[in-house]
Amino acid sequence: MTDLNSSSSRRRFLALGGATAAGSLAGCFGLFSDDNNQIGVSLSDFRGSGPLVESRDQPGGTSIQDLPALEGELTVYLGGGEGGLYVDLLDLLEQAYEGFTVNHRVEGSSSLATTIIEESEAGASQADVFMSVDAGSLGAVANAGATQSLPSEALDAVPGSFQDGDGRWVGFAGRARAIPYNTDRLSPSDLPDSVHDFPDTAALEGTMGWAPTYGAFQSFITAMRLNRSDDVARSWLNSMQNHGITEYDNEFAVSNSAANGELAAGFANHYYSLRVQSARQNAPLDLHFTEGDAGALVNVSGLEILNGTNNAELAGNFVRHVLSSEAQEFFATRTFAYPMISGVQPVGGLPRIDDLNPPDIDLTELADVEGTVDLMQDVGVL
Amino acid sequence: MGASDRLERIREGANVADRDADEPTVLALVVLAISLLLLSPIAWVLIEASEMPTGRLVELVVSGTTTTVTVNTFVLVSAVTAASILIGVPLALLTVQTDLPFKRFWTVTAALPLVVPSYIGAFAFVSAFGPRGELADLLAPLGIESIPTIYGLHGTVLVLTLFTYPYVFLTTRASLISFDGRAVEAARTLNASRFQAFKRVTLPQILPGIAAGALLVALYTLSDFGTPAIMRYDVFTRMIFVEEQARNLDAAAVLSLLLLVLAMAILAVESRIGASRDGAYVASGDHRAGEIQLGYWKLPAMGFCALIAALCLALPIGILGLWLVRSAGAAPAGFVFEAQHVTNSVMLAAGAAALCVVVALPIAYLSARGDGTLSSLPERVSYVGYAVPGVVIGLSLIYLALRFVPFLYQSLFVLVFAYVVRFLPQAVGTTESSILQVDPSYIEAARSLGYGPITSFRKVVLPLVAPGIAAGAALVFLTTMKELPATLMLRPIGFETIVTYIWLVRGAAYQGQAAVPALILVGVSGLSMLVILRQEG
Repeated sequence: MTDLNSSSSRRRFLALGGATAAGSLAGCFGLFSDDNNQIGVSLSDFRGSGPLVESRDQPGGTSIQDLPALEGELTVYLGGGEGGLYVDLLDLLEQAYEGFTVNHRVEGSSSLATTIIEESEAGASQADVFMSVDAGSLGAVANAGATQSLPSEALDAVPGSFQDGDGRWVGFAGRARAIPYNTDRLSPSDLPDSVHDFPDTAALEGTMGWAPTYGAFQSFITAMRLNRSDDVARSWLNSMQNHGITEYDNEFAVSNSAANGELAAGFANHYYSLRVQSARQNAPLDLHFTEGDAGALVNVSGLEILNGTNNAELAGNFVRHVLSSEAQEFFATRTFAYPMISGVQPVGGLPRIDDLNPPDIDLTELADVEGTVDLMQDVGVL
Repeated sequence: MGASDRLERIREGANVADRDADEPTVLALVVLAISLLLLSPIAWVLIEASEMPTGRLVELVVSGTTTTVTVNTFVLVSAVTAASILIGVPLALLTVQTDLPFKRFWTVTAALPLVVPSYIGAFAFVSAFGPRGELADLLAPLGIESIPTIYGLHGTVLVLTLFTYPYVFLTTRASLISFDGRAVEAARTLNASRFQAFKRVTLPQILPGIAAGALLVALYTLSDFGTPAIMRYDVFTRMIFVEEQARNLDAAAVLSLLLLVLAMAILAVESRIGASRDGAYVASGDHRAGEIQLGYWKLPAMGFCALIAALCLALPIGILGLWLVRSAGAAPAGFVFEAQHVTNSVMLAAGAAALCVVVALPIAYLSARGDGTLSSLPERVSYVGYAVPGVVIGLSLIYLALRFVPFLYQSLFVLVFAYVVRFLPQAVGTTESSILQVDPSYIEAARSLGYGPITSFRKVVLPLVAPGIAAGAALVFLTTMKELPATLMLRPIGFETIVTYIWLVRGAAYQGQAAVPALILVGVSGLSMLVILRQEG
């Protein structure tokens, strides 16, 4: 992946502050117009609204219209606090097909992975599909032998770096690690391009925040271990602590605190800042991305089909729906995630996923949270 | 023949009942079976912990982090317990023994904070007193740039104390109400000062009550995860949570065992205070000590009550109101709050309360009436689950249900069982203290009249202990309403409650959506608190 000259636009993308927006939902079209027993759901139902959803192009990729209808009952374990937003997508698909019902259960990704592994070991799987906001928990379930293979149509639609090497899970929405910072307190030139330079940057001393108990942060440290080494991760954590850093219990709080000036900058997934920006349009908040290191990790929300299912065909068809142009538009405009198919753009001025420069690692290996937690405890971060 | 003579003769006849030696055995067997069930979640903890290689185990137990969280947890539990006694006992004395104006009102406001989940209290305090919080915003125009941080040990102690001291208040109040005031009057006629009379007569009598409340506070503090996490103070529960999230279940189990050791230590301390049951067995509360005239202490006393009520009730409810007003627009479809959430919560809480009452009775009866340590052992055992974090109970019951009762996995039975394991001691405590207040000779009298053991219990003891049972049920009800981690892990697919809804919207950072359900939660639980206070008269 090459980095382009887009750093200024990349850094400024959140500054579309007062942009009016909303009314620009052009391109609504009715789905299923030529189908008889299906309820119409249009692209505008999938699309979000608000200042960050500028007038957008018609999404490319495979439309739901071109997929086989969903029919039957599917049980989905939904990992992660943003489950509420993903539930909306399940609701939309239920609306689209009269004969389709989803039972879901929302919990933390990691807890659900543990539950799935326990169920699988006891031979009493309850769910057909695991949707998770973290590749690490998908990897853990896959490594426990609790998954079935995914349909090739689904795997083909997504770049190889955002799916499991053995095709056991596939990403459906990207989440980039980023540095949210307060534009009143810092200028873009204050922020280094390597995450490893942060502890040595005087402007950031004693004024950054992180959320070390948060799964996404631990994945970031796991990525640093994979990309460099345990020792590098250890010394980075140590020097960040010596540099002075405040602890939060989640990354929305980190982003929010950067927006209100309590922090100058922090470590968080990119979409939390967009969420803050979406609620408070004039917040002096922007995002910075590092280059080619764990600081620019792109983790994924992904899904896998569980081996206890006797619904594999429906589950496979469901996976293809989640990767349809409409569903991808949903993730881009409602959860501010990176779409996984090339035909759909990220929101606002977010750099394209190809313009990011993430570290070259196998996301399935993010499952080694255990080693990361040991290391973090060792240096006293946890 | 006067009524008292008749009673006397019945009492003499009561000795006959002694020959039914097998009936305590049956009771003991029932209680033993219950105790084993209650301890079953510990089986998982032991199995998981035993899977850790000895080398790693030793490393974990002696690691710096483990030492730090042990010290932190010890400091936190001691501070919260002490502070709860300092707030709960004076409030109980004021509302029972003095001429405090609007006594009923202050009784209600002093008890109500128990209905506010401590994690919501913690959010409210961070929202109000955190950096860039409401207070900071208020003071900013006055040129005050920053306020002392709310985060850390002091903030954690403050929040946990404010939302758990009612345990001490309620148990102290109950023993004050039931205790015979003539003793104090006697002491006063013997020229003891008011303070001396309190120290030498009142205090020994109400000490078991205070200790019972303090035990609940201490064990709650030990097992609470949310508040220390939000207030950024490292304790055992956070370490267990981190290990669970990293799927290090063996480490989570080992840490849980260490936590249990701390719980046993607390139980042992309480046993030494609570053991002198002489103070607990008292006649009825017909003879209350004469009211203490507050005089010019009236205003400061009311100020104290008002301050506590403002911090514990007005502040969180006000902050929830603010969230409500500020939440913009409609919720995403996945976030629609439904009446079904409330019904589900109430149904679960009522089920847990009913089952706890049934299970608590034999345990409490054996403990109150039995002789020696062995008979009160099951009562002690019932506290173990209360000290274990909900997440550990959740993991354990997933494991056990899948292996031993797969047909019950993800059913409401397992969930209600989890609540019984967690909250039973609240029912056992209140039931036991009311059984202690029933003169044992009454039941012997009934037996001598030819009633069977069950019938005489039902006809004689039950009506007298009903208020205590109702209070226990209400306590279980409102703590079940608030419980999050076990509910999240064990609820059936598609079954959502008020707190799982709050968890969902808060996790997605839509806190405005949490205001209405949180207010409903406080409202419904508040109603059950009124039941407790009504029973106490």
